[in-house]
Amino acid sequence: MSVPDPNTFSLDINDPEDAELIEYFLGELPEKVDFINDAADRVDLESLRRIAHQLKGAAPGFGFPSIGSAAKELEGRIRELGESGEDISSVRAQIESLTSLCQSYISSNPFQK
Amino acid sequence: MTDEQLSQLESPPAVLLIDDSEFVHRILDSRLRSESISLIGEYDGKAGIERAIQDQPALILLDLDMPVMDGFEALRLLKDDPVTRNIPVIVISGLNSSQDKVTAFDLGAVDFITKPFELTELRARVRSSLKMSALLRMLEQKAQIDGLSGLYNRAYFDDRFQEEYDRSMRHGQPFSIALIDLDEFKQVNDTYGHPAGDMVISGVARLILQQCRNIDIACRYGGEEFVLIMPETTPAQAFTLCERIRAGCEALSWAQHPSRKVTLSCGVIGADDGNSINSTPQALFEMVDRNLYQAKQNGRNQVKASHFDGTPLTISKAG
Repeated sequence: MSVPDPNTFSLDINDPEDAELIEYFLGELPEKVDFINDAADRVDLESLRRIAHQLKGAAPGFGFPSIGSAAKELEGRIRELGESGEDISSVRAQIESLTSLCQSYISSNPFQK
Repeated sequence: MTDEQLSQLESPPAVLLIDDSEFVHRILDSRLRSESISLIGEYDGKAGIERAIQDQPALILLDLDMPVMDGFEALRLLKDDPVTRNIPVIVISGLNSSQDKVTAFDLGAVDFITKPFELTELRARVRSSLKMSALLRMLEQKAQIDGLSGLYNRAYFDDRFQEEYDRSMRHGQPFSIALIDLDEFKQVNDTYGHPAGDMVISGVARLILQQCRNIDIACRYGGEEFVLIMPETTPAQAFTLCERIRAGCEALSWAQHPSRKVTLSCGVIGADDGNSINSTPQALFEMVDRNLYQAKQNGRNQVKASHFDGTPLTISKAG
């Protein structure tokens, strides 16, 4: 999967209502990344699945379909592990691609200047 | 009926969003801002149900995958409770499986929307569900309301009388009913015409509504007869209320016939303690009918009230 240009959104940043949503989502994102990292450290797969599920459903609506796709990959992978999934190493790659994608958006947040 | 007329019925309808994700609250708040609704929110099924009971929203948007209580369980409970049963529920979910959709519809959801939202579709579905809910509510009300007087109709009275009677018996609370009949009403119709008679019916109905408290249930029983169900009301209190209605009616002046006053006669029956009535609603109604007959016999324009067991009332004239 190619990393999209973090300065482009599927919403129109020049539209006031859209911009408000983009700004809100970007503002929330650092906290979500922290949450994912914490859950990964604790090997808390249920929390990881839940946050991935939320991001999958919500990110596209805020103009971040690529985050939605990465979250979908992570959620799907955790579901595959099912009950037996105490081995978090098999979802490391999905966690990593989701968080780094989020990081790239956070670091180029146009509202934080 | 146009959308505009519908939205004027109640403005603006409350839509309750139950979803554990702050993101979803945020995005719907923004994207439904242009709709004439007021969006309220809860973050889990349990809190959502409590809010639905309390606020009686016109529509519920319900997420499936939530902690504490998931959406299916919440939907089941919402549809089990008579207080929330008729509120339409749209299920919103990121779990886009046919089985989930079937389960949601089987449990009583009116629609299913998948996340991420397609915005125009979301708005259209919300609008269509609100429209349906307003129409259903209107239909329900129309079936219970008498067109001329605006009071509840006879069919509604029959159901509600039994219900309130049973409730008062169960809780041992005071309970009274009144039967009101306009005096020599036929004369008004014959002399001034039926439109004038209709004005009298709706005018007296308005007076009754003004005098009644929130707990009273005022119905048009038929023709020129009205019946009041008064829960938590002793016969003595019911007498006072009906006496006010009687005096109010006598004092009204009528544009079509200023010189012809309209008076009414009224029978009241009830008990200070619902537990003591060892009877049926039908028997109680026969008794109130006899009291009305007495009031007519005694010269009309008066209220005849008694306890169901025949003991006379002690009416305090003070106040």
